[in-house]
Amino acid sequence: MKPEIVSLKVNGQVHQVIVTPNMTLSEVLRGPLDLTGTKQGCGVGQCGSCTVLVDGTPTLSCSTLAIAVRDSEILTIEGLSTGDRVHPVQQAFIDLGAIQCGYCTPGMILMAVALVDENPNPTREDVKEWLGGNLCRCTGYVKIVDAVMAAAQTLREGDCR
Amino acid sequence: MKPFEYLEPATIAEATQLLSSHGEKARILAGGIDLLPRMRAGLIDGDYLISIRRIPNLDYLECDGFNGLAFGAMTKLRSLETSEALRSNYRSLYDAIHQITSIQVKCTGTAVGNLCVATPASDVATVLYSLGARVEITGIDGDRSEPIETFYVDAHRTCLGQGEMVTRVLVPSPAPGTQTVFLNLVKTHADVAKVSVAVAVTVEDGSCRDAKIAIGSVAPTVIRAYKAEAKLKGEELTPQLIQAAAITASGETRPISDVRSTAGYRKNMASVLVRRALEKALRRASDGSTKEENR
Repeated sequence: MKPEIVSLKVNGQVHQVIVTPNMTLSEVLRGPLDLTGTKQGCGVGQCGSCTVLVDGTPTLSCSTLAIAVRDSEILTIEGLSTGDRVHPVQQAFIDLGAIQCGYCTPGMILMAVALVDENPNPTREDVKEWLGGNLCRCTGYVKIVDAVMAAAQTLREGDCR
Repeated sequence: MKPFEYLEPATIAEATQLLSSHGEKARILAGGIDLLPRMRAGLIDGDYLISIRRIPNLDYLECDGFNGLAFGAMTKLRSLETSEALRSNYRSLYDAIHQITSIQVKCTGTAVGNLCVATPASDVATVLYSLGARVEITGIDGDRSEPIETFYVDAHRTCLGQGEMVTRVLVPSPAPGTQTVFLNLVKTHADVAKVSVAVAVTVEDGSCRDAKIAIGSVAPTVIRAYKAEAKLKGEELTPQLIQAAAITASGETRPISDVRSTAGYRKNMASVLVRRALEKALRRASDGSTKEENR
């Protein structure tokens, strides 16, 4: 197993990274790329905290090989804000206190972004379905659902950042 | 994770060649949802991971009420779940996929990958047993097609030989008047089921023309309850007959006790779920409300 130089497009920027085939996307993001906003929780694909978007698709970065997603567009939590301006979903999480310890938050937010991209007018049930694979062990799902609903409304009303 | 060589064949022929030459040391990587966590935990080894993601024409879904359903080795569970045609023609399959909680898992996990794990607890496999699915296999010596019942040989073992891979799954279109139902018993939907049941019942004027009953998590592979099916065929679906068939079906199971349930409880619940599934199928057949319920 030889290390290879792989180019990974993360948050719009192309990085040349030395990886071995057995490195997961979460390891490469958090290690060589120093993008520690992506959290690794369970490491077995059950908690959702490592969720990133790969070509817009919600993907568990702990269960994805980095080498397999070269040539793809990867979006992590760091890529959501523009300058000082956070994404409306992030703003709604802040405004509505949808954060306790914060560990699950990046995964929750990226799932919410994928949801509102696909369905700008979700119901609370839709939000619960979409966040079904993201665990919050502080247990505060009500405010999280409130925040996603509020963000969806903001986005519908035309906050395009 | 232990080191391995990562290979990305461009064609099915290249993939089967690699599988054949590396033998037991090779593993196919599709979505990776099952394989990678297990490799990281050291539960399985693989010196060669053969990714099939770059092979063209493996990620598709064809579905209509006439030709049936076909999907390839890279078709994601989410593609099946979001197909309107699948939802209206294969209600049980939709329900089995829809109750899988994580959208991330369904977006990257493939249906064929789920089948190839060969766990008797696969809800998807259970439904496919009840729908008469066939598994198409390609190897270095050519193609073959197996009914799903013979695709599995034991717990975590399929009939795939060295140098063979699944390329496609075919599900016939249910006969007119067929109701398909999926039910399972779980502690929480994020967990594996204690027992799953899928039925496909063809009802004509209240009597049963054909019935397939599949039960998951009650034997080393998913099973068909053939004796219970035989009891139903050609008969009027009375509550007494349904109850008798459910008890017969339970007698066909060979469950074990494990962390999720005892064998005895599984046996009892197999009967309850089969009864409820048959009742639900009959109810749908008599009110003709499948379309309504689909919403």
